Amino acid sequence: MTRIVQFAAVSLVALALAPAKPAAQQPAAPTFQVDPLWPKPLPNHWLLGSVTGVAVDAQDHIWIVHRGYDSMTARTEIGAATNPKTSDDCCVPAPPVLEFDSAGNLLSHWGGPGDKYEWPVSPGGIAIDSKGSVWITAAGPPEIPGAGNAPARGGGNRGAAAGTGRGGTPAAPPKPVDAQVLKFTRAGAFLLQIGKAGNAGTNDSQDALNKPAGVDVDAAGSEVYVADGFGSKRVVVFDAATGAYKRHWTGGGPDAAFGTVGCARVAKDGNVYVCDRSNDRVQAFDKNGKFLRQGVVSPSTKGTGSVWDIALSKDPQQRFLYVADGHDQKIFILRRDTLDVIGSFGDGGRLPGTFYSVGSVAVDSKGNVYTGETLEGKRVQKFLLKGAGR
Amino acid sequence: MNVLFRRFRLRAESRVLISVSFVAAIAALGITERTLARAVQARGTVTAPRYEVDPLWPKPLPNHWVLGMVIGVSVDEQDHVWIVHRDNLLGANETAASQNPPTAACCVKAPPVLEFDPAGNVVGHWGGPAEGYDWPASNHGITVDYKGNVWIGANEGNDAHLLKFTKAGKFLMQIGKPGQSKGSNDTENFGRPAKIFVDPKTNEAYIADGYGNKRVVVIDADTGKFKRYWGAYGNKPEDTNFGPYDPKAPPIQQFRSPVHCADLSNDGLLYVCDRPNDRLQVFKPDGTFVKEKFVATNTLGDGSVWDIAFSKDPQQKYLFLADGKNEKIYILDRASLEILTSFGDGGRQPGQWFAVHSISIDSKSNLYTTETYEGRRLQKFVYKGLAPVTKMDQGTVWPK
Repeated sequence: MTRIVQFAAVSLVALALAPAKPAAQQPAAPTFQVDPLWPKPLPNHWLLGSVTGVAVDAQDHIWIVHRGYDSMTARTEIGAATNPKTSDDCCVPAPPVLEFDSAGNLLSHWGGPGDKYEWPVSPGGIAIDSKGSVWITAAGPPEIPGAGNAPARGGGNRGAAAGTGRGGTPAAPPKPVDAQVLKFTRAGAFLLQIGKAGNAGTNDSQDALNKPAGVDVDAAGSEVYVADGFGSKRVVVFDAATGAYKRHWTGGGPDAAFGTVGCARVAKDGNVYVCDRSNDRVQAFDKNGKFLRQGVVSPSTKGTGSVWDIALSKDPQQRFLYVADGHDQKIFILRRDTLDVIGSFGDGGRLPGTFYSVGSVAVDSKGNVYTGETLEGKRVQKFLLKGAGR
Repeated sequence: MNVLFRRFRLRAESRVLISVSFVAAIAALGITERTLARAVQARGTVTAPRYEVDPLWPKPLPNHWVLGMVIGVSVDEQDHVWIVHRDNLLGANETAASQNPPTAACCVKAPPVLEFDPAGNVVGHWGGPAEGYDWPASNHGITVDYKGNVWIGANEGNDAHLLKFTKAGKFLMQIGKPGQSKGSNDTENFGRPAKIFVDPKTNEAYIADGYGNKRVVVIDADTGKFKRYWGAYGNKPEDTNFGPYDPKAPPIQQFRSPVHCADLSNDGLLYVCDRPNDRLQVFKPDGTFVKEKFVATNTLGDGSVWDIAFSKDPQQKYLFLADGKNEKIYILDRASLEILTSFGDGGRQPGQWFAVHSISIDSKSNLYTTETYEGRRLQKFVYKGLAPVTKMDQGTVWPK
């Protein structure tokens, strides 16, 4: 914290913006400023790949999952991880799951293929349940038009996405489509797999998923909600202990069908908030899938859409939703009761506090917001709560 | 060690004139960097400039602008920081507001040339295709010369030219024509020239030429007329394809494209970045070879010697060398070319780099770096005075 104070003295830029549409009857949105020196530099010349999920556990530890090698450019980015090596010791991909304390120190790291489970071709969301278990979805590589660059300039060797393997070796056989959710202990011991890689489900499947994008567990730790996803277009609920199918639902309200189901977040009161990403909307349901209402976020956003991930504020009433919009490069702040947008912060860029494809968001017990950037963003950032909102 | 001795023997057998200082440089190479580090620690007297990143410089760009590969940086005499970046190669998903129709409120391609004041505000912007000159298919390198003119290089396949503008972006001169390069002995066109330096004493411009050619060219900075050129070791440049660099093979007698920088010191020595050969070669202004320094010689591919800047003391005691493959800035003693220390690491956080491509220094000795590929940033490293060297590899330098 002393570091932060010091920086405030050196003129820390406040990134919080005024509410988009000030209206007397709307509450004031919380305000934030970036901590440009969080987390601490990684050890071992480790690099993050595309960060696809961020979560905060009950101890305010911050967990991320990233795509590692397959999201990196072998020729230019990870010269110490190719065969032959092309640089001395910089850089190599960090392990896919990383745990930080609130000061930004790396506490643990694990993840990757194992004998008892099918590690994703590309991970998606991450969640830590009330019992301390870690859930990770297998979301498949991002399918985003216009992502990346003129390949010759960036090196072109984009691992799985380009059909090439490590260090430019011939392409491996195609991997099975991601269609599973994994559960581990916080130490990385395997507990449970729901769904099977390659066994892509439909909107009606009870035992099969299709590129599940996000995951969340209810407050009791008894039911797991899967945003299913980039392949199927629904929310599915399973028993969190056994993985047994319980129920599912598709989009509700007017123009009901979901476009891309990027997330499903359960509030303490049991309401479920779903990212209908490509339709630029948040849909709210009760825990049985009864449609309650929807909120539209940045309706002019086309392409990938605006609603990439949702985090709930940590006040007892959970009055606010934070919506990560990886296409407009903002975090929108919504009232949870009405789903009205009451503010936003962030902008595009690679400097602290700006985003490239901010696709995941989480909140700690002090109300600080953490973001993960996918594609070429490849960062986790922390935004300090400066004004609580009212 | 064996490689180094072999290098020396082969060099001795070659017809290259070996000056006394050259021998000294080669002898110094016989000591590994680790040994040097131990010696440094044992002596405890070696000092080098110390730096810390300023994580909040520059200020956020206006207008939802984003940068493409930031491929050049130069500080002018008012300590304004100039960059050139490849706006034309930004992807559609990160410039959604520049698409037709726009698909999101962010982001917009920033103009290719941006000028920042010392506080990090954008105070000028221009560039791009226009009547009267050939804007590069891929711009590369920016230099503000002693008269306040702005030079831009070019490195796409057909690019064979340089452009010169006023600071306000008014076109002054184009040297060379796209598609017209006739190789490393052409006296009218360049071959994808990387960087420009203008000598205030003679008004000669030194061109690192480049990605296509394998030479240094000296031109008159006002007329653009070619005056002289040379290759590695002062040899006549050849366009032979030597294939990829091999650290086990004897050093080739030609530059291996790209020739990536050519900067002249106050005492009249020209330092040339022979990037994929992992070496810095030093010449007199007439092209006489003086000495060379090998850096991180196991580095393959893009190589280790990307760009340099001199320290701001009158003697230019230190030389800063950007290595965009190992993600470091090395600090060298300019006289001995001994590496004193290095800082930086790979990553996207402040003080880290993805392909640190260019480096420049202001009057207060602050350093500025830019990153190409997916790094795409301009960063500032604040000079904290001379300090005893305690680590050869300082890693990420955050404020203390």
